[in-house]
Amino acid sequence: MTLRWRCALIAALSAPALAADDAQLAQGKQLFGSATPACALCHTLGDASAAGSVGPSLDELKPDAARVATALRNGVGSMPSYKATLSDAQIAALARYVARASGGEK
Amino acid sequence: MNDSPIRLPRRHVLIGSVAAMAGVGLATWIRPALAQAKPLPAYAAWKTEPTLIVHTPNTIETRRNAFGTSVVTPTDRLYVRNNLSPPDAAIVANPNAWEVEIAGVKNPRKLSVRELKTMGIETVAMVLQCSGNGRGFFPSKPSGTPWTVGAAGCVVWSGVPLREVAQALGGVADGMAYITGTGGEKLPDGVDPKSVVVERSVPIKALPDALLAWELNGAPVPLAHGGPLRLVLPGYSGINNVKYVKRVAFAAAESDAKIMSHGYRVTPPGSQAEPSQPSVLEMSVKSWINAPSGDGDALVAGPVQIHGVAFGGTHAVQRVEVSTDGGKTWRDARLVGPDLGRYAWRQFAFTTRLSAGAHTLVSRATDAAGNVQPEARVENAGGYNNASWLDHAVKVSVA
Repeated sequence: MTLRWRCALIAALSAPALAADDAQLAQGKQLFGSATPACALCHTLGDASAAGSVGPSLDELKPDAARVATALRNGVGSMPSYKATLSDAQIAALARYVARASGGEK
Repeated sequence: MNDSPIRLPRRHVLIGSVAAMAGVGLATWIRPALAQAKPLPAYAAWKTEPTLIVHTPNTIETRRNAFGTSVVTPTDRLYVRNNLSPPDAAIVANPNAWEVEIAGVKNPRKLSVRELKTMGIETVAMVLQCSGNGRGFFPSKPSGTPWTVGAAGCVVWSGVPLREVAQALGGVADGMAYITGTGGEKLPDGVDPKSVVVERSVPIKALPDALLAWELNGAPVPLAHGGPLRLVLPGYSGINNVKYVKRVAFAAAESDAKIMSHGYRVTPPGSQAEPSQPSVLEMSVKSWINAPSGDGDALVAGPVQIHGVAFGGTHAVQRVEVSTDGGKTWRDARLVGPDLGRYAWRQFAFTTRLSAGAHTLVSRATDAAGNVQPEARVENAGGYNNASWLDHAVKVSVA
């Protein structure tokens, strides 16, 4: 296989993966403002133009995706659990997005 | 505190170049450590920064080597944990004007702090400890601040006994089994208040010692610690001592606010929080060593005073033992300093000699009811109530 073909093959294989990744991040960003209660009401996250001051600033906290997902499932302190209102896929998307947007992604 | 020479009074700067150079040198030496630390939030800017670890603007921990041996924790070193951001500082400008609604009594009404001050006065020394103190020792890394030992302090509150307030309003209404306190934080618009409000219920058996407190360690309660008025429940973990308390209700059932029904529950690992699980309420017997702190103290072989704190939650401390071999052998420590009552902690000290090499120092307390501090933590999803003596061990290296 020539180098050109190899590059073309890699591009063809990774394009859908990249698109899925973008879609997940977009879904996460959308959920940040639409989950009930919306994350943006309580948290600051510059990427989402959110300036809530009830809970910690995510820009400062910089949580990784696992930390966000655990917080969403179990709640933390006065933050309620979203387990009953968000699906596992939605929690994963939101967690990915917050980790990426806050700079906490590992 | 700021070590920059810029803030030295002018006369110090003018003394001479030697002093000025010394100031610069010190600043340069300390700066790198401070530069990495997060700044104190504005509402707690008066605290003594080098004695604290700022995790987030609403979670600030006392350093293990900053507790001292004077029993009472100075307010400027006391930890802070706010579940929601504190209200505007304007509420502490005139503490007497703050009002609290008292419900579940024969004659419910609102009372100002000014009125409360005419109704009674009592003072209690007690351990104030965040429910999650020691969470940092859970290998499961639960959500929440990874406190080690410093989300605790021993403080003195003054206020009016809640029982006297209830009595003045005709007494507690029939059939009430709980005391519910509601915090006065501003809640965001568009959110079901019950999903975020800080509202906690404790069993009514806490009434005899409960206070509505306006004074902490001899000064009006600062905003950072719940001023102008805080519901104080000696023996109960921090969260139950509701800050900026705006409503106290005697109630037949626990609050259905999320922070009560699902928050602060002792949830088995891997499970979801449910109202049927035990709530985080009374503290249990616990101790830890503060010195040597293991935080880089330079230790040389020879005599040493091992000291720390011990408390029993709702019981007095009876006994503290210390081990210098990781818990294989134990010797009784001395209780030193004044006994400020069963809700306060006791300082303990143990005189020994440490040889060169590595040592694991631990303490183990026993309360007046005979409960012994356990070796193992009780695993739970939220990382609450860690009283394990093994987790609180100090590992030191002696030169």
